[in-house]
Amino acid sequence: MNSKLIQLEDLGFSYDLGKTETIKGVTLDIPANQVTAFIGPSGCGKSTLLRCLNRMNDLIDTAKITRGTIKILGQDIHASDVDSIELRKHVGMVFQKYNPFPKSIYDNVAYGLRIQGEKNKSTLDEAVERSLRGSALWDEVKDRLKTSALGLSGGQQQRLCIARTIAVQPKVILMDEPCSALDPIATAKVEELITELRKEYTIVIVTHSMQQASRISDRTAFFYLGEVVEYNTTETIFQNPSQQQTEDYISGRFG
Amino acid sequence: MDTQGHISTEFNEALTAVKDNTVAIGILAQKNVENAFAGLMQRDVSLCNQVIADDEEVDQLEMQIDNDSLQVMAKYRPFASDLRLVIASMKITHNLERVSDHAVSIAKRARKILKGEEIDEISFLEPSYKHAMIMLNTALSSYVESSTEKALTVLTMDEKLNEYHKKATKAYTKKLEDPCDNHKTYLNLVFINRWIERVGDLSTNIAEDVIFMESAQDVRHGGELED
Repeated sequence: MNSKLIQLEDLGFSYDLGKTETIKGVTLDIPANQVTAFIGPSGCGKSTLLRCLNRMNDLIDTAKITRGTIKILGQDIHASDVDSIELRKHVGMVFQKYNPFPKSIYDNVAYGLRIQGEKNKSTLDEAVERSLRGSALWDEVKDRLKTSALGLSGGQQQRLCIARTIAVQPKVILMDEPCSALDPIATAKVEELITELRKEYTIVIVTHSMQQASRISDRTAFFYLGEVVEYNTTETIFQNPSQQQTEDYISGRFG
Repeated sequence: MDTQGHISTEFNEALTAVKDNTVAIGILAQKNVENAFAGLMQRDVSLCNQVIADDEEVDQLEMQIDNDSLQVMAKYRPFASDLRLVIASMKITHNLERVSDHAVSIAKRARKILKGEEIDEISFLEPSYKHAMIMLNTALSSYVESSTEKALTVLTMDEKLNEYHKKATKAYTKKLEDPCDNHKTYLNLVFINRWIERVGDLSTNIAEDVIFMESAQDVRHGGELED
């Protein structure tokens, strides 16, 4: 197992061209084939950091990496020869609000491969089935692949978005509060799926649910004011954290 | 262990109730052992009867603490020190309920002994009893004060208790080997001596639970506390 699939070294990030830092010198290593949870109060920088990992923040004009590096499989993702679109093929993302395209279930899953130029029907069929099986959705939708994705329930739409993400076989899946809009049953299904996906992918998840972080993640990082207060195994963070600030946050004493 | 400071005041209150009731069951269990022994030594049957009656309150409180703890876990999903407080309190409560059961056993045997004539050798129990009660008191104090230091003290006292227990048992066994009319009494004293020693053992368990509550370290079965 690669214990350092993603390496953050003294990472600084600013939304206003460097005047103020939202991420202040974060250093942490994210291991492969594990679920790493980012927790912390709103505004602590956890979602910002998540979006740094596939350079989603590049889409903001005033966003700027102020210091440090992000390496994925040893490659600096801000190196001049790294294309952000190419990077996002390897580092997929699932958002808080499920966002399937207004297309059929099949077309949603095949979308990424098609824009990569894949036209072979049997290859696409195979990839769609593999991805829908991988996201535990196949049995529920196999008889209506050509119907609109928008007709699925919320939980199914989120799993479809996960299927769309894994269709292009990324190395890393970033998840930004993927269950916050789902009911407990749909949440349980997505959590079960995340646990399964870890065997093949490296997952980084931002969550506001302490129970979710403790249930599904292997390692947890607690962020506050743009800094990592504590990063350790999830067991340690939730049973015996070393920092008082972490203890206060997870036990609801913060604020 | 601090039960306060949560954003949810209801959570503060629920945790405080668990801790307060655990202290309360501790005081009741301790009092029951004291009354059982006093009943025996002072030849006071009414004290023995009182212990048997008061045990009901301990049983009820144990069930209430279990139920309250379950509610806290279901409702507030505690983590870290809060979770350890709830788990440790439930385990400590169980140990204290057993302490009280031993007090009842002592009281019942004492009633039998009191039917016979007074014998001097009853005083052989005193070293074990005094030592076990210091252990129980220190264990309860360690819980109330969240003191790992006091809890560790209890663990060091167990060996001495075993010595007192063995010494008294040996003395009573010798008496049982001799021809006399008080065999039943000496046999009952062997049992009481055993239950007193069990009170010390349960105090050790309580101290271990306090250490877990405070440090998240499991020192049971020879485990050592790390810095």
